[in-house]
Parts: sequence; structure tokens; C-alpha cells
Amino acid sequence: MTRSTPIAAPEADHPPAAAPVESRARQRSRRVTAHPVAGALFVLPFFLVVVAFLVVPLGYAFWLSLSSKSLALGTRFSGLDNYVRAFTDPLLLDGLLRVVLFGLVQIPIMLGIALAGALVLDAVTTKFAVAFRLIAFMPYAVPAVVGALMWGFLYSRTFGPFADLPTLVGGDPIDFFSVSLLLVSLGNIVTWAWTGYNMIILYSALQGVPREMYEAAVIDGATPVQIALRVKVPAIKQAISLAAIFTVIGTMQFFTEPQIMARFAPQISAGYTPNLYAYNQAFAYSDFHYSAALSFALGFLVFVVAYAFVFVNNRRRGKRA
Amino acid sequence: MLGTTWLAKLRGGLAACGLLAVAACGGAGGDDGGPVTVSVWAWYPEFKGVVEAFNASHPDIKVEWTNAGTGADHYAKLKTAITAGKGAPDVAMVEFQQIPTFIILDALADMGEHGANEDKGLYADWAWEQATDGEKVYAIPVDGGPMALMYRKDLFDQHGIGVPTTWAEYAEAAVKIKAIDPAAHIASFGSDGGWLNGLMWQSGCRPYGYSHTTAKDQVKINLTAPECERVVDLVGDLVDKGLMAKDPFFTADATAALDSGKYWTWAAAGWTPGYLAGSLKNTAGKWAVAPMPQWTAGADEQGDWGGSTFTVTKQAKNPKAATTVARELFGKSDAAWQIGLDKAFLYPLVKDVAADPAFTGKAYDFFNGQKVNEIFVPVSEKLGDFQFTPFQDFVYGELNDRSAEAMSGSRPWGTVLEETQKNVVAYAEQQGFKVSK
Amino acid sequence: MKVKTRLPHLLMGVGILYFLVPLLWVLVAATKSQPDLLDSPALWFAEFNLFENIGLLFREDDGAYGKWLVNTALYSGLSALGATALAAAAGYGLARFRFPGKRLFETALLGMIMVPATALVLPTYLILSEVELVDTMWAVILPSLLSPFGAYLIRVYVDESVPVELIDSARIDRAGELRIFWQIAVPMMRPAIVTVFLFTLVATWNNYFLPLVMLSDADLYPLTVGLTTWFNTAQQEAGTRMLFNLVVTGSLLAIVPLIVAFVLLQRFWRSGATAGALK
Repeated sequence: MTRSTPIAAPEADHPPAAAPVESRARQRSRRVTAHPVAGALFVLPFFLVVVAFLVVPLGYAFWLSLSSKSLALGTRFSGLDNYVRAFTDPLLLDGLLRVVLFGLVQIPIMLGIALAGALVLDAVTTKFAVAFRLIAFMPYAVPAVVGALMWGFLYSRTFGPFADLPTLVGGDPIDFFSVSLLLVSLGNIVTWAWTGYNMIILYSALQGVPREMYEAAVIDGATPVQIALRVKVPAIKQAISLAAIFTVIGTMQFFTEPQIMARFAPQISAGYTPNLYAYNQAFAYSDFHYSAALSFALGFLVFVVAYAFVFVNNRRRGKRA
Repeated sequence: MLGTTWLAKLRGGLAACGLLAVAACGGAGGDDGGPVTVSVWAWYPEFKGVVEAFNASHPDIKVEWTNAGTGADHYAKLKTAITAGKGAPDVAMVEFQQIPTFIILDALADMGEHGANEDKGLYADWAWEQATDGEKVYAIPVDGGPMALMYRKDLFDQHGIGVPTTWAEYAEAAVKIKAIDPAAHIASFGSDGGWLNGLMWQSGCRPYGYSHTTAKDQVKINLTAPECERVVDLVGDLVDKGLMAKDPFFTADATAALDSGKYWTWAAAGWTPGYLAGSLKNTAGKWAVAPMPQWTAGADEQGDWGGSTFTVTKQAKNPKAATTVARELFGKSDAAWQIGLDKAFLYPLVKDVAADPAFTGKAYDFFNGQKVNEIFVPVSEKLGDFQFTPFQDFVYGELNDRSAEAMSGSRPWGTVLEETQKNVVAYAEQQGFKVSK
Repeated sequence: MKVKTRLPHLLMGVGILYFLVPLLWVLVAATKSQPDLLDSPALWFAEFNLFENIGLLFREDDGAYGKWLVNTALYSGLSALGATALAAAAGYGLARFRFPGKRLFETALLGMIMVPATALVLPTYLILSEVELVDTMWAVILPSLLSPFGAYLIRVYVDESVPVELIDSARIDRAGELRIFWQIAVPMMRPAIVTVFLFTLVATWNNYFLPLVMLSDADLYPLTVGLTTWFNTAQQEAGTRMLFNLVVTGSLLAIVPLIVAFVLLQRFWRSGATAGALK
């Protein structure tokens, strides 16, 4: 996942983000002191960085994507041709399908474990639980590159303890890099790296649920599991869906792990994920124009998916309210 | 502890490239009459000594060497810098199969303008052919990879298996090996486009044709010729029968398998003795080298896997000095070749160096005293014309991806080349080429 | 009660094992020599070679690893400081002021968080190459200053926990806006600021793609790019340089500082973040 990538967006979903809706409502009723010039000056440096490292590059990328460069014919303006090519490019569509498939399986598993862990942490307050919390979070501090290298070693027959396990009972060694297992192997790396992080986020949100909300249920004799499912989970729905959005965004940009893992498993093709494909179009095949179009198309898709998610989520909540 | 140049670089970055003084920074050396600085990107092992030897013998030129990554990383950076129009080195290491790619990107300067044609007789003919296009000299050959068969002599002898001289015998040996040790394989299918290409070359398959000078928008692709197909049929069949393993080359797993009797042979190249001697400890002294198995008994068809050159980029500030660097970093330099042969284990494409008894007569402990270069040198001399496409990365990528499908069982091996051919042709046409077969 | 927590504890035990084993492997593997790394049992110690490995690590390539370590600290420190400062000022400005274009900018902020980073790196490279900044430390630091998420986080936090009344009364006392920000708002924002700082620090420390594209001079590499280079060398030129033990030891030393920082600071930033959510 590219969560730890360049333009430092620590793509975290974080409890503070869990509160925007009500806070915006409150803010509207509050008097905001108007000092237009001073206010603008506070925002200006940030704004300049946004222009220089987000708006201009994006504009430039879009401009690049509007022309084509073929090896034999050189560069020419081609309008939206690159986008037509992208959405009919079997390599891109394969990669897209692979990532969607990956997400459909890996995201629920990871967030499910994270949520379960957070609920346990919220209910159990032993020293052991504190140790669990600290250790589960550690992988977040491991660079994705190092994480992927580490797992690459662990998966290998030569360095790792796992591949030869079946031979103890007379089976064949497991080939974690085989085409059929690759996606699972990658999914495990991502799950290892990000479960603890998401757990902490959800745990923080749980900590903020006022105890009064479930004191009544405790008195009524509800079990901890019932309380967790009927009171606590609904109470942090907002945080869960934000964690889900950011995970979806991260998954759509899946890059670092497959890129590193390709050094152990050359079966990871140039178009294994859409982001990897965009990278290879630019840096292996020198087609910066098509690469820009691919990145743009991918960004647009991510944007649409994420906003659709927010929209559906808000509507559902709106209906219930 | 830390090098002062590095600190100076960082400090320079901090001071001169202040945020407000953007335009002022990034300048290179001055015209103070000192030696001309030539930047070089390369990833040869032990290259530092070669650079030092060059600088010591050329007071008017100072080579500044950068290791910008190995293989794909290096090319990615080079291509990016070429697209940006800035940031490329003066001299760049480029492997043979990549030369047409960089020619069509208009990245390489013609060293012929600075007298490089004088070197024509110095290098193995096939290498010079690939490095040049008519009178245009785009690259200076350095090392090559004439192919031969490494095999576990101890095991072959012990079990009375003859060293295969034809591919049919090779396939028979594969069956025998499996019968002797069910955990062993005759070799591994390495998922390496260059290796497969080398095998096809050795089979007489000439799948690509391209000349930038005569017709820059025409390319020949013919991967489905019988000489090509029979290679994939053979290895595919061995893989399907479980006689050939599926480990990618150069991974720790493949290395360990070579060193533990899991693979009995490896059809590899002139640089392999160094590679094997450095990484295999348990089986040292048990390996030997034989000529490649032939497709027709008694024939003498040969192939090459790997090898590299020096090119001068069009961004070179002083192309003449850069040409000198490309020609003389190795070239006729004894000091450089001493490092290249003894420490970096390069196979020399300089004819005189390859023919030198010091090279041909060198006995390798790893091969139990065998003088293996006596096998490699004639192979390199036998190599004929072979051309690459100007998009070889794409071709190798396709070969790997389609073979991976075949290995996982989702595609019959028999369709690997057919599908690769189809996709490569589609790509070539999309890139504006007229494609012929 | 004891009986009821047995299952959760068992599950947590499994979790601890899962999250810890890979890290333990690195720890164990870093103590092994190159031959032992290939031959000895993966999760148990062989001959203790950690200090030799560390010595080799810092000597290889004329001390490249040390440079990479310093570079990484420098890049991530400067980026995190800059990004946090910009985000803090912007978040405060957005939360407590009204000026033309503000609402539009706030809406756009959410969109900015969703822009795929890889879409930006390539054009950013081409632009930075125009101003001759490619292959300098600034090519890594400047783009890392952008943290829309940080600005968003701080905006929400200020909104929740820096009372307007306090700022107003300071204004009545004729305090300058900058002084109000520095002396009143920043101390109250500290938990959110620490959170943003840590996130941006980790993001830059762990960054791979941006420096991979921007830098070609190995002296300027951060750890992530440097270690990958060594790993490639170890695989492709194994004959002359088997470096796996150095890659493993280097990986260990690359993650230890961050893990220590997080374990030490976890309570602090987490309480800050939680407070922001729930006021």
C-alpha cells in the first residue's frame, strides 16, 4: 500500500476526523471572528505548498495526458485518446480487477480483526492488554519497504521458517511466491502492517464513547459481547467508515509491497496493480503521457469511490436521524 | 567516519539551494582549467578500482562514478532524466538488449564522431554489431555472457549419466535425475527474459530485427518461428512434468537450491563462474562446464545471455571527453581488466583480453581446476548477428508474464510465444511501428 | 470475571505472536553471519554475530549506511517540522478566521487527501528538474511539506478545543494575531500538533517512492532506497557480494528508532488525538 508514500499524506483516519459533522454544525452557530487578512496569511504558506506540489503537478500531469508519445512517431496532441486506451487496456483492467478482488477480501478481514481487537482492548484492561496494544501497533513504524523485504525473507524456503512446515508431516513445501498464493502472501503483509494501526484508531474512538451510553445496558444484564455489538460498534460507526475509506484509498494505490516483492517473485507482472502499471509505463516503457493518463484515471476512480462511500454513508445516517 | 564529499554535498544543498535562491543552485564544476569532469552511472562490482585506475592514467579527465541502482532501477532513473532533459550522466552503462531502446529515445550520442570507429577490431564482432548501427557508434562493449552448461560433475559421474550433448539427451537426463532423487531437478526455469532469449538465440531463433538508421519506424517480430517455439516447448514440457523447478534465478532460494544438490545443471553464461564461486560454498569443486547441448547432433550453435556496454548520453557536456571515458575505462586498460577479471568476474569482450593465455588458461578451483574459459571463448567467437527491439523491456515482461501463466497452469506452454507475439505486435503498432514478421 | 477474559486473552496472545514473530525474526537474523543466515534454523540463534554485522554494515560502501541513516533523520525531521508548522498555521487560520475562498478551500482539502501520491511524483519530478532541484535533498523535503490531512486534523482540533472567547479577549487586550497564535493557541493545540508531527515523521521516514524517483546519487539516499539497492546487489551480484546479512541488520537498525519513539510517545499522541475527537 502506498500509505507511506511521497506527498506526505499520512492517510490516517483519525478520531478527530470522526467528529466533523457535528462540529461543523456547532461552528455555524458560533461567531467566527472575521480578520480576513490575518486569517488568509495564516493559511497562505500552506496554500503556496498546495499550489506548488499539488495543483501545479496535477495540472501538468493532466496536460501531459492529453498528448501521446509513441516511440516511432514522437509526440502529438491526442485529446482524450489516452483515456480511451486506458479503459480498454486489458493490462490495466486486469490489475484493477486484481486490486478490487484483493480489497474485497483483505479489507474486511483486516478491519474486522482491528475492530475485534479494539473492542477487546476497550473491555479488558490488564497489563497483557496494554502489551498487546503496543505490540500490535509496532508494525506501523516499520517502513513498507522493510516490511516487504522482511516478509520476503520469511516466505522464502531458505531464510524463513514457514515454507518448510508441511514437510514436517511429509507434505510439499509451500511456495508463497507461486502465482496462486501471491495475492494471499501480499494480503498478509498488508494485514500485518496496518491492523494494529487501525485498531488503535478504533480503540481511541471507543475510549471516547461516554460510559453513560451503556451503563443502562449493563444494569439490564447485557453481556459484554452484546454491549460491544449493540452499543459500542454503532457509537463508533463514523470512525469505522473513515478507517474503511482510507483503507480503500490505500488499497487502490497498492504499490510498494508488490514492487518490492517482485524481487522475490518475478511473476509479479508489470501491470500487477494499476499503480505499478502506471509506474512501469513511465519508468520502464518511457511513456510518461500514458502513465499520466493512467495515474489520472486511477486518481479519478479513487476519488469517485471514496466520495460515493461518503455520500452513501451520510445518506444512510441522514435517514436514520 | 562519513565521507567529506557527502557532507559537502549536503551542506552545498543546504546553503546554495536555499528556498529563495532556487535558480542559483545545482551548478556543476567550473572552467578553472582543471581536469574535465565526466559523470558515469554503472553498477559493475568492484568498479571503484577501475575508476581510480582511469583517473590515475588520465590527468586531464576526472571520472565521477555513481551507482544509480542495479538493472531496472538504473534504467528507470536514466529514462526519467532523459525525458526531463536534465540530470542524466555523461556516460551510462547500458546492457546490449537495451541499446535500441535508448537509441530510439534519442538518448545516445554517436561516438563515431569522436573517433570510436577505430575500436572496431578491438571487440568481439557480434558485440560490435549490436553496439553500432552502420558508422554510428552508440555503445562500447565491455562484458558479455556466452552461454555454456554448468553441471554437477560429481553427481553425473556417480550415477553414470553422460553429459548431454543434445537437448534430447538433456531431457532424458532430466528423467534420470528425477528417478535418482525425487527432490532434485535438472535445473530451474528462472523467469528471466534474458535467459530464455539466450536459449532461443542458441536455437537459431532470430525473433527481432531493427535498425534505427535504415528505417526507424520498422521492426521485425517473429517469436513463433519453429526455432523459437522448440525452446519453449522443451522447457515447458520439463516444467509440466516436474523435472524442472520454478525458482526465479538469483533469489536466495535458487542459490541455496544450486548449493544443495536440488539442481544438477544450469545453462548459464560466461559470468556465471564468478557468480557461482562467490555464492556456493558446499558444492565448490563439484561443478564443471560443458558446451551447450545442441538441437542437432554435432551442430555448433551458440547463444549469449547478458553483457553490457558504455554509452555516451546526448546530455554529455563534453562528448569528446565522455567518449574517451567510455572507450578507455576498460578498453585496453590492463589495470581495469585485472580487476574486471579477478574480482568482478566479467567475461571480456575485448578480443585480446579474451585470447590472453592468462584468461583462457586460468584454472578455477570451483570447477575442480577446469580451465572453463577454453569453453567460453570459442562460444563468444562463434556468436553471430542478433538484434533486439527498441522496446525489449516490454518483450521480456510479456515473456515472463505469459510463462508465469503457463507455470501456474492457466495457459498451455504451447501458446506462450503465440500470445507474446500477439501482444508485442499490438504494442509495437500502438507505438507507431510498421511490423513485419 | 477471570473466566470471561480467558478467551480475549487467548486471542490477544495469538495476536502478539503474529505481530511479533517477524520482528523477532529480524532481531535473531541480524545476529547471524551470512552463512548462518542461510543454514541455521530461522527463528533461533546461531553464533552471535550482531556486532560484527553492525561493524560491517557501517563499513560497507565507505560508510554508506551511516550516511543513509543521517539523511533519513534529516529528511524526515525537516519535512515533519515544516509540514507540521504549515498545517498548524493553516488549520488555525481555517478554524478561527473568515476570509474569501475559505469554504471552497476547506471543501477542496478533503479532496486533496484522496489524490494518489504516485500521480504527483512524476510531474513533480519534471517540474523540479526544470528548477534544477532534482537529485538534491530538497527534491525529497519540499514535496513532503504537503500534508492536507494534517491541516484538516488541526482545523478540527482547534475548532473543538481553542475557545473563540479566549482569542477575542486577547484581541481586546490588543495582542497581535501572531502572538495570540503562538502564546495562546499553540499551547492548547499541542496534542494535535504532536500527532501531526509524528504522522508526517513516519510518512517521510518510511517514504520510498519519492526518493527513489528523485535521487540518483547514492550519497543522498534515505534508508529505504539504500537498503533496496543493497538487496538488489545481494541478489544479482551474489557472487561478488553476498549482502543479505547486511540488509537484515540494516533493516533492524532502520526500524528500531521509530519503534522506540512510538512506544515512548504513544500515550501522549493518542490522548491528544482522542481528546480532539470527543470534546
